[in-house]
Amino acid sequence: MLVRIGLLTEGGYPYVSGDAGLWCDRLVRGLGRHEFDIYALSRTERQEDQGWIQLPPQVKRVRTAPLWTAHSDGVVYGRRARRRFAEAYGELAAAVCAGPEAAGTEASGNPADSVAAQADRFASALYGLAELARDEGGLIGALRSESAVRALERACRVPGALRTARTARVPDLLSVAAHIERTLRPLSLDWYEDDALGSADLCHAAAGGAAALPGLLARHFLGVPLLVTEYGVQLRAHYLAAATLEEAPAVRALLAAFHGRLATEVYRAAAIVTPGNAHARRWQERCGADRAKLRTVHPGMEAARFADVGEAVRGSRCADPDTLVWVGRIEPAKDLISLLHAFAEIRRAEPKTRLRIIGAPAEGPDGATYLAHCKALAAQLFPDEAEGVHAVGDNPVSFEEIGGPEIPSLAEAYACGALIVLSSVVEGFPVSLVEAMLCGRATVSTDVGAVVEVIGGTGLVVPPRNPRALAEACVALLRDPERRERLGAAARARALELFTVEQNITAFHGIYLEIVSHSPVRRVIVDEEGEPLPFGVPAEAHVPGRWTEPRLMTAGRPRWAEGAPVRATAPLTAPVPAPGPVSVSVGEGA
Amino acid sequence: MTIDSAGPGAPSGLDDLGEPDRPATAASPGTRDERSARDTGPLRDRDSAPDGSSSVRGPAGHRGAVDPVKALMHRHRELCERAVDPLEIAAGLEAHGVTDRTAARLRHRDVFSLAEEMYARAARDGDSAPRTETPGHPGTRAYWAALALVPGALGTAVVVGLRLTDGNQRLAVAAFGALAMASGLHVALRRGPLSTPHRTANAARAWTCWLVTYALVGDGLLSAGQDGGPDGPWPLATASVPALSLACAPAAWCAHLFAVRARRRLSASRGLEEFAASVRPLLLGAFTLFLCALGGLLALSGTVLNESPAYAGAGALGALLLLARLLTTRGFTRAPGRALAGAGATEATALATVFAARLPGCSFLATPVDSLIGAAGPGAVPALACGAGALVLLVQATRTLTRASAHAPPCEAP
Repeated sequence: MLVRIGLLTEGGYPYVSGDAGLWCDRLVRGLGRHEFDIYALSRTERQEDQGWIQLPPQVKRVRTAPLWTAHSDGVVYGRRARRRFAEAYGELAAAVCAGPEAAGTEASGNPADSVAAQADRFASALYGLAELARDEGGLIGALRSESAVRALERACRVPGALRTARTARVPDLLSVAAHIERTLRPLSLDWYEDDALGSADLCHAAAGGAAALPGLLARHFLGVPLLVTEYGVQLRAHYLAAATLEEAPAVRALLAAFHGRLATEVYRAAAIVTPGNAHARRWQERCGADRAKLRTVHPGMEAARFADVGEAVRGSRCADPDTLVWVGRIEPAKDLISLLHAFAEIRRAEPKTRLRIIGAPAEGPDGATYLAHCKALAAQLFPDEAEGVHAVGDNPVSFEEIGGPEIPSLAEAYACGALIVLSSVVEGFPVSLVEAMLCGRATVSTDVGAVVEVIGGTGLVVPPRNPRALAEACVALLRDPERRERLGAAARARALELFTVEQNITAFHGIYLEIVSHSPVRRVIVDEEGEPLPFGVPAEAHVPGRWTEPRLMTAGRPRWAEGAPVRATAPLTAPVPAPGPVSVSVGEGA
Repeated sequence: MTIDSAGPGAPSGLDDLGEPDRPATAASPGTRDERSARDTGPLRDRDSAPDGSSSVRGPAGHRGAVDPVKALMHRHRELCERAVDPLEIAAGLEAHGVTDRTAARLRHRDVFSLAEEMYARAARDGDSAPRTETPGHPGTRAYWAALALVPGALGTAVVVGLRLTDGNQRLAVAAFGALAMASGLHVALRRGPLSTPHRTANAARAWTCWLVTYALVGDGLLSAGQDGGPDGPWPLATASVPALSLACAPAAWCAHLFAVRARRRLSASRGLEEFAASVRPLLLGAFTLFLCALGGLLALSGTVLNESPAYAGAGALGALLLLARLLTTRGFTRAPGRALAGAGATEATALATVFAARLPGCSFLATPVDSLIGAAGPGAVPALACGAGALVLLVQATRTLTRASAHAPPCEAP
């Protein structure tokens, strides 16, 4: 069955410099049987200038809009439109500014009910603004106008508003209004027509936040179901970004509330939400996503690159049984210091071991400084060693980069060690751990981010910042090659099952079909004059799957339904069976 | 700094700590905390380190007297004080490597509930830190302030040229001078407080040109037309041109003064009404200042050129142009366009009626203009037209330019 997917992205695919570009590209290429329309919001002018990546033929249409600039279309509202705007924006501001105290003192008394009431209020205000933008235009100017600022001020001053919001000064109100205007720019787009997002069977937002806004509106205006994929939770990213801004507390509080309500509405409206890992899932649950809607779809990694190393025969598999390997980008969050200290303990137990640290320093001065410091520490802890008095010595810890003569590729980097070590203190989704698993290597990693979820018992996990525990785990594995083999094989099997591109694409394919079958878009077919065409959509269109295909007919029809329908009792008169009922009975019988 | 603290001296410390979330590593939580501990230490050291040990290192669990959550809060003190809701603390803690396992050791179900406790216990002072004013660049300021003098210099040069030449040469000087002044004005308005990101409508530009042209030739042509002329070249009001062009500089300075003061009031005021009330006198003051400067310039150029300047007409025109520009720079383009068009059309109609009255049977057309000129001289026509426009714009400006949204910083990409 062919599904037409409206893929909504923000600051990523199909632009060259994008966030989730690789994932989207693999998804689109992997689902060649479906059609994709890409609706992309660009984040900066530079990104737009750099152009797109090459798109496969299943991409039928690309529409883009800038988020970084907006020109007011010069529409000045009349009195009625002004009142509509003031009402909708006032509701939005009130929903954003409402504090927990206000929620508790509402008439219902039940906090859960009043939270839902606030979410409803936010949603209706948001859709009110979107309808206004669709009917009248001119929303961008209105969102920056004095009446917006005034509505915010009023909402901040009501009793029961957020405690921090009450301290808002005029510049704070202005910057909140400006930020809301920036975020709500997708409301003014012309994508919500029958020939744009209306022609899609489902909208797939590649991220939450601004990317999901067009999906929300498409669902509201046109009834197109929405699928939201979040590999990193947008709200959390907003919090982390806001921590670096020098804004007043009132601004941060209001913006946090705004983004929180927006996230809640996105999760509420979405047919299915797919977090990338358990961590994202927890955040989404926290923001009010219904558990029944959540399907974790792990990101996919390209397994073919590591097939040679992973499938190598046992004897040649461990080139050097005494080598530990660490692969990654060298930055303070990886805590190489701790790894070096752990290695010092390992050397005390197993003097022959070597440590190869493979990777480039992170961009910026921090990475280079950290690398230099690690090298100095390694030189301090481990003197150069030589085999005899006549041989040239070497340090047991080496810092290497991929691309050199010894390590031409990433797979080789993993292949050259018996044991892969991960020592991070902060980690999101540990890509290098998955790569090590795909290579069939035993791993010792620290318990951070999604590590436990990824490794799932096929490797050793120690607490972060605990060199002694790390050393003990490494020594245990170094002394037990059998266990290493076992763990490596199990890790590879697990990675192949959970973290390949294929499983990622299959999962989304299944979710697409599920959404389309559960909530098909009901369209009214019109003739040339614009009159609705009765029976324009056949009854079969409402049944999942393509029922007119002969293969499916014979396979899906039970034996008793084969052939023409037969009446149980002979009728008194013998009418000729009309062709119409036949098809209906087939549809119902199966 | 981070590196040193976890550097060669660290192993012994690590051994006896043995806890996974020691502060001084990685991702810079430690960096900030240690520095701020030194700066603002005494404030909270008291309650979080009763045993007198180094509170930054105070680990959870080892020294039983310390509340482990309090130790964690102390470590992430800045985060807790800044946070506006529990989720912000949760996000910050996770970014610093705190996981659900850590939270479980602190007897919490997950990071969220730990963050909620920390948020509830954190002492936040309600006062927001005063905003830091972003200082303007002195270099660019001098640049636009100097550029604002360009039209004045050109205008003076053109008038001197007109005075010294005659006949065809004079015509060439006038044509060249008009072009030079237009481009000079364009350059001067591209930078500084009178520049606008909004597109100026071409109609508004055309009406402005017409109004300035009328100020130069209009009065003479009107009186000549009334007397049945013009026979040959009529007298030009040359005194108003250098004065108006020189007035670009005080206009820019007044606009700058208004913008800077308004921004300062903006950051100080707590409410929109309060802001509007404090900006209104500011606007009127800047406007009056400009009018005084323009009057002085008119008097000066009248004295130098030995001419009696049209104080009312040129003054009203200057006021109209300044207000129109002030409104345009803040995005209100509609009212200035209409006011300019209205004033220009009135002047054009006045001229047209005088000449149309010569047609047979149409002498009644000139009656209003004739009576006006008879009462107050030919300068009354531009004074009334521009004055009415300026008055309308002044009312509009006191309504719109006192809004906070008119002084919002320009919207840039995030």
